[in-house]
Amino acid sequence: MSLAILDGGTFYHHAAIHGGRYRELFDKTIYAPELTTEALAGVTFLIVPDRINPNVLRARRDVLIDFAKAGHTLVVFGENRADTWLPGVTWAARPTNFWWWLDKDARPPNRLLAPDHELFQAVPFENTIWHFHGVLTPPAGARVLIDVPADPEGRDSGGALLYEDRVTLPGRMLVSTLDPFYHHGSNFMPAATKLLDGFLPWAREKALRPGRGGI
Amino acid sequence: MKPGLAFSFGYDDGSLHALTSARTEAEVLLRDVYSLPEIDLDDFSVLFVSMHSDQRFLASRAPQIEEYLAGGGVVVANGHYAYPYLPRMAGFHTIDNYRLSDITVLRVAEHPIWHGIDPHDLTFRRGVSGFYGRVWHDAPADAQIIHALGKPDLPLDFIYPVRRGRVLFHGGNDLWSFGGDDKQLAPRIMQWVAEGRDVQ
Repeated sequence: MSLAILDGGTFYHHAAIHGGRYRELFDKTIYAPELTTEALAGVTFLIVPDRINPNVLRARRDVLIDFAKAGHTLVVFGENRADTWLPGVTWAARPTNFWWWLDKDARPPNRLLAPDHELFQAVPFENTIWHFHGVLTPPAGARVLIDVPADPEGRDSGGALLYEDRVTLPGRMLVSTLDPFYHHGSNFMPAATKLLDGFLPWAREKALRPGRGGI
Repeated sequence: MKPGLAFSFGYDDGSLHALTSARTEAEVLLRDVYSLPEIDLDDFSVLFVSMHSDQRFLASRAPQIEEYLAGGGVVVANGHYAYPYLPRMAGFHTIDNYRLSDITVLRVAEHPIWHGIDPHDLTFRRGVSGFYGRVWHDAPADAQIIHALGKPDLPLDFIYPVRRGRVLFHGGNDLWSFGGDDKQLAPRIMQWVAEGRDVQ
């Protein structure tokens, strides 16, 4: 019954995970190259932050998959190439538009498809909106929580930025393209900090009381 | 000149592309950061450490990095310094609720790598400030400070010696992603490395 997070060893993982703002929320911090099944003993909710070296994750994919197979919750953020190690994940790169918000009339393409999902009681949808790195195609039976329509330049037919998969493995997997740990830990984007302000306490609550909210 | 070496981190990133695709004095090779123990750094003229590098791992290899520097190697390091992987470096300082005046890039000394580049163009990218740097670092006392952040005594870019070698430290997003198409920094850094070799 505990919340664990992988630490990729970058400065922004250090700031986000070991910094004062959130560190009390984590029962266990596991340096990603040291991830083992034993390290996950007692863990019910595991966060894989954005931008962990995918070579490390691929080398430990069995540990991660076994964790989800055991019925636990696995949350995987973006820029991890989860499509190369996590079952059910299909990802397509899309050139990142960092500048969508500079035009005052511009509206972000992000769409909230599951406003009733419990996550959004903790994380207001607007705190999930910034540039994004590619789109996900969820497996059949997964629930898309946030998506974007087809790329206006025709490079993809759209896809999910966040989905929940309870069908591929016995556990629950939340998969996202967003990279809040990088942006929060870099002192650079307030929306990312707001997302973590809502998400991490929610994750802790879910880890400690997995019976509530339908996990 | 020997090639440069950049540590990669397992996924594609525009920053590494900007480094390896630039027309440089010598080529820049990519190797995953975790292969460092098997690499003879003396085969390389310069070591590029991206802001996305696992500094905790690099800190476990600090003796190897220091030995390379002591022998005349050059390290170009980016990001915020969170783990002790470089000799003579200390920590960084965040600026809470920073305003534009806090993160304006100030040129303290001229240097060929940044020659002809207006600090204003480092402070802003498409009118947005902060990409180049948002924190300041404690620099060694004998460091040459090139750029400061907000105030002249808050170091952002600096160069300092480690015995026969040098560290170029940039406390922000990867240095070689700035300068624009006509003033790319990667070739300038390689040129600077080459000229340093000539002096020695």
